[in-house]
Amino acid sequence: MRSPFSLCAIAAFTIALSPSPTLAAATVPVPAVENVAGATIVRQPDSTASLVGVAYVVRAGLDRQTLKENGLSALVAETIVRTPVALRQAQGDMPAMPLEEAIAARGGSVRFTVDPSDVRFYVESLADDAPAVLQLFRSAIAAPDFSPPTVREARSTLVREIAQTQQIALQVGLDMLNAASSSQANVGLPELGTPNSLAQFFSNDARGFYQRYYRRGGVLVSAAGRLEVLPPDALTSLASALPEGTTAAVPVRVAALSGATHEIVAHRDIASPWLIAQYPAPKVDSRDFGPMLVLAAFIRRTLSDIAQVPGVVSPTFASRSVGAVYAYDRAPANLVLYVNGGLNGNPSRAFATALSIVNVLAATRLQGSIEEFKAEAAGDFANDATTLETRTWLAAVFSRESASPDFINGALAAIAATTPDDVQRVARTYLGNPTIALVLPRGANLSD
Amino acid sequence: MRRTAFAAAVLGLASLCLAPYHADAAMQQLNPLPRGGSYVLDPDPGVGTAAIGLWFRAPGAGYDNATPGLANLAATAAAVAPLASGRSLYALVHTVGGQLNIEVYPDIVGIAAIVPASASRRIVAAMTAAYFAPAVDDTAVKTARANAAVLGVQQRYESDTTLHDLLFGQIFANGPEHYPPLPTSVSQLTSISTAQVSDFAKRAFRAENGVLTLTGNVDASSVAAVTDGPGGGSMDRPFDSTLAPTPASATSTGSVDGVGLAWIGPPIADEKAATALDFIADYLFREQTGVVTKALDKAQSDALVVGQFITLHDPGVMLVTIGGDHEKQAEQHVLDALSALQQPMDRQTFESAREAFLYHVAADTQTPQERADNLGWYSVEGNLDYAPGIGSGSYERAARELDPQYVADIVRRYLGKPVVVDLVATTPQKESTP
Repeated sequence: MRSPFSLCAIAAFTIALSPSPTLAAATVPVPAVENVAGATIVRQPDSTASLVGVAYVVRAGLDRQTLKENGLSALVAETIVRTPVALRQAQGDMPAMPLEEAIAARGGSVRFTVDPSDVRFYVESLADDAPAVLQLFRSAIAAPDFSPPTVREARSTLVREIAQTQQIALQVGLDMLNAASSSQANVGLPELGTPNSLAQFFSNDARGFYQRYYRRGGVLVSAAGRLEVLPPDALTSLASALPEGTTAAVPVRVAALSGATHEIVAHRDIASPWLIAQYPAPKVDSRDFGPMLVLAAFIRRTLSDIAQVPGVVSPTFASRSVGAVYAYDRAPANLVLYVNGGLNGNPSRAFATALSIVNVLAATRLQGSIEEFKAEAAGDFANDATTLETRTWLAAVFSRESASPDFINGALAAIAATTPDDVQRVARTYLGNPTIALVLPRGANLSD
Repeated sequence: MRRTAFAAAVLGLASLCLAPYHADAAMQQLNPLPRGGSYVLDPDPGVGTAAIGLWFRAPGAGYDNATPGLANLAATAAAVAPLASGRSLYALVHTVGGQLNIEVYPDIVGIAAIVPASASRRIVAAMTAAYFAPAVDDTAVKTARANAAVLGVQQRYESDTTLHDLLFGQIFANGPEHYPPLPTSVSQLTSISTAQVSDFAKRAFRAENGVLTLTGNVDASSVAAVTDGPGGGSMDRPFDSTLAPTPASATSTGSVDGVGLAWIGPPIADEKAATALDFIADYLFREQTGVVTKALDKAQSDALVVGQFITLHDPGVMLVTIGGDHEKQAEQHVLDALSALQQPMDRQTFESAREAFLYHVAADTQTPQERADNLGWYSVEGNLDYAPGIGSGSYERAARELDPQYVADIVRRYLGKPVVVDLVATTPQKESTP
């Protein structure tokens, strides 16, 4: 019953669609970039915002760890977040408390993400509180507390987070796929480490990693929101919080996997299976970036059409059980398709259909209009870039990997310029050889 | 008193509704649409999208409260019915790369589109045409029925929504809030005729009963795209419901387990009390940071607690729903935490919690869609100036006026013995997808 879907999907692609919708014009202000002594500052002032958000990117990610140091990057970042700082309030000074709690008490938040080459902090607060909150963050990142109690608490926090992450099937699958697709072995290891690897690290290990890799060279400070409330030197001061110097990745070569399709299987305490496929994808500075955004939109729409209950116009469990994500902000970039077996009546069939459609796309000459998918790609991209956190992060990614931090206008222009031939080329280039992850409930096996 | 003032304001606007719009019209306040109704604008040129919303006062079960699901069918049918161009609003939004959400509550209907900025005028024109001059036919109603039937089945597996409806059924004896906006029985849906849906749509979705919200990368010139609406008339009064004299707790069977607790709160006009209840919900139940949430995490509980104050015209409702496992233990956590709040918090803890609350409100109202939804909801519930996240509005002021003693007083006044609904799963089953 579902098999006609692949034909329908291709037919939708090859039939000329109704008049082309107009894509968004370049109407969003361009972020400003400034280089300060090896660091880069990107500003997106927005006087209509209530908040100030700052992404602080340090070249201290997974590729700075040796294989034995997996988890050390996360441990240092968590230690910074838990570093005691003094909080001043109208009622007087409060006892020193972890940075995370102090910022929350001051009307804000701080969190971090470990990426392949970076660790990325994101600090956000009410505009009026931003100067004080950023000062708290600066004091912690400039002089973290590597005392045994703080490092111990940081390790405990990470172990709890790892346990929670292991219950999220999609994340388990993505971790496996990222490990398989990484060109450097250290980059493919778990972002937070493992409980066993973390247990090997003590204060001196964390302090040593910090001293080696928390350097000003390559630091990126990307800010958005009510920036006019900040003192003129607030962002410059943040950029120069770390000592001068640059660092290099630790090369840990691994032989590339050979052969056709690869499958990776894991079992977890989850209720239903997940099926995930990963393909390589272009970076944001590639000429293939715009076409891949359009291709991802097409695949996303097709997957949703496969899963959705016919005739239903509202989002349902079924339509949300599938998806496609183009992770252009990751190194290496990739495209992921997934099916959640808990929400989909026949996940194997949905997944097989999706894979066949991708195969057909890569092999068949495409004709007709792609305007509707270009519009969808533009809408998805713009809609995913409306919070201060995404705006600061995307500006940082585009600033680092392309000539301009102008992510909205740049992406929309790339989408607008995409032709059917571009989509065909990109499909052929990238969609030939997926790696597939199956995350199964314990006790289940591949034949179930 | 607030409702009267609001109605007067709407009547005042209605008398101006044929006046031309002004591109420099004051933002974040109600301005007249060219052909009836009003709009509120909150632009943000820093993003690439525009959120277009259209909100109405409309009783979910019909004007006689006898047809549960009627507003849902009407709202969906109007969205999928072909417009003059031959394409429906739903199809057009998707064609331009946007998303359309149809939100039907017991007393109001909200239509929300998030689209690339350049498409905002087309969507304003199409959305107001679809609702201000609805052309609902049999095909559109058939689609709406199918949609509602699937959502109804799905809702059985959402303990939060199910408990919400059950608790409102206990608290309110009569009126829209007594009835779920979406009946789970298909027969209730099929018994509603196209004529009923069409009549309801024409009455509920008339221009003068609507508020258009424009947020994100959009400006007032989009209002010129509104070409439908007869002009004149006024917005309906809010559809309030009658409280049950002595709301009773109950046990109900369903597809999932859960426990729900509810307390009757203040009307939207009592801004300080309503804000205090928002603060309490944030302090106790917010994901990751709430006191109860963290206590359950620490205890490694699998219970999922959702707590919120639902701001309604009169009265509002504090609602806590508990799903997952060990619901009764979680319920006791909730009651203990509320009991502790009957005593004033120490000043330092309170100051930190209030600052965190203000941040959470700002963080939760930063995207165009979130702001459009807030502006629409608070407009039709009768107090736009109180919409959270508005820079010059009264919400932040009310939050800053809170103090530990007042919060404790509010807990004692409103959050005593709750109405409790125990939802017991009889035959758990997975949703089957065709």
